[in-house]
Amino acid sequence: MKNLFIYSLTAFVFSSVLWIMWSFFTVQSGIVPNWMGSLMYLPHAARVLMVVYFGWKSIPGLYLAELWGPYYLADDAYNFALWIPSAISVLSVSAALFSLKFFGFPLGTTIKSPLNKRNYKHIGLITMISAFFNALLVNVYLSQIHANFEPVEADINQVLRFFVGDMLGVLVVFIFLAMFLKPVLQQSQSKT
Amino acid sequence: MKEFYQNISDALNMLYGMERDLNIRHFTPNELKVFYTIILRSADKAEGSNITEIVANSGMSRSTVYKTLKKLSTEGIIHLHQSEDDGRESLIVLNSVS
Repeated sequence: MKNLFIYSLTAFVFSSVLWIMWSFFTVQSGIVPNWMGSLMYLPHAARVLMVVYFGWKSIPGLYLAELWGPYYLADDAYNFALWIPSAISVLSVSAALFSLKFFGFPLGTTIKSPLNKRNYKHIGLITMISAFFNALLVNVYLSQIHANFEPVEADINQVLRFFVGDMLGVLVVFIFLAMFLKPVLQQSQSKT
Repeated sequence: MKEFYQNISDALNMLYGMERDLNIRHFTPNELKVFYTIILRSADKAEGSNITEIVANSGMSRSTVYKTLKKLSTEGIIHLHQSEDDGRESLIVLNSVS
């Protein structure tokens, strides 16, 4: 239970900030059609980063952030209850890590670890698998309850859009962080 | 809190690796423009583009392009080799990221 609060709070703040940015640029500004919002979903980066680096302790904060944005800031954004799809989305990264561990690729921090959390290519693989789980399972759920973001049934195009959108969102956030944190990165490397 | 900082440090290491492999962390806007022009030209011409083509496509002066190519070459991002068709011509080729 050590550090549970600080991990959860960090995850909540990071995920909320990304959700607000994503929501402003893709949904509320009206610059692009609403359905295009899922073509670059920034908050997936928070799910990946927080679950990979902070583990299960970040999940309560992530889940709260997934619900807080849509329910508190934009309560008319969705026409269905988000409790279950949000849980699926947050748990998609854990599911990806569990699957990789099941097939003999547990996550570690050394160069000998099959999956190294300091290697961005390995994080890319986790992102891809979690995006796959998220896209597939959330849309299966939406189909089952006959709800959707658009006035049509969830279809394979939407699954694909979720999959690509989560990966593009993570890529954009990672590149932004790498550029934004440049001085910190250079300083931390010069010390090692 | 030590564990918290250790996790943050791991995340920073991951981002540093990405920044290093992309190798664009210290480019100026002009350098980025030339770099992207070379990438776009590479899609059409795998054997490499000549300097005149890079100048024409980047919309920058010849001297700026020359200076930038020299920097990119020094950093191992591109290399220049002589054209087989015309010995006076140098072709610019992107080095692969290992």
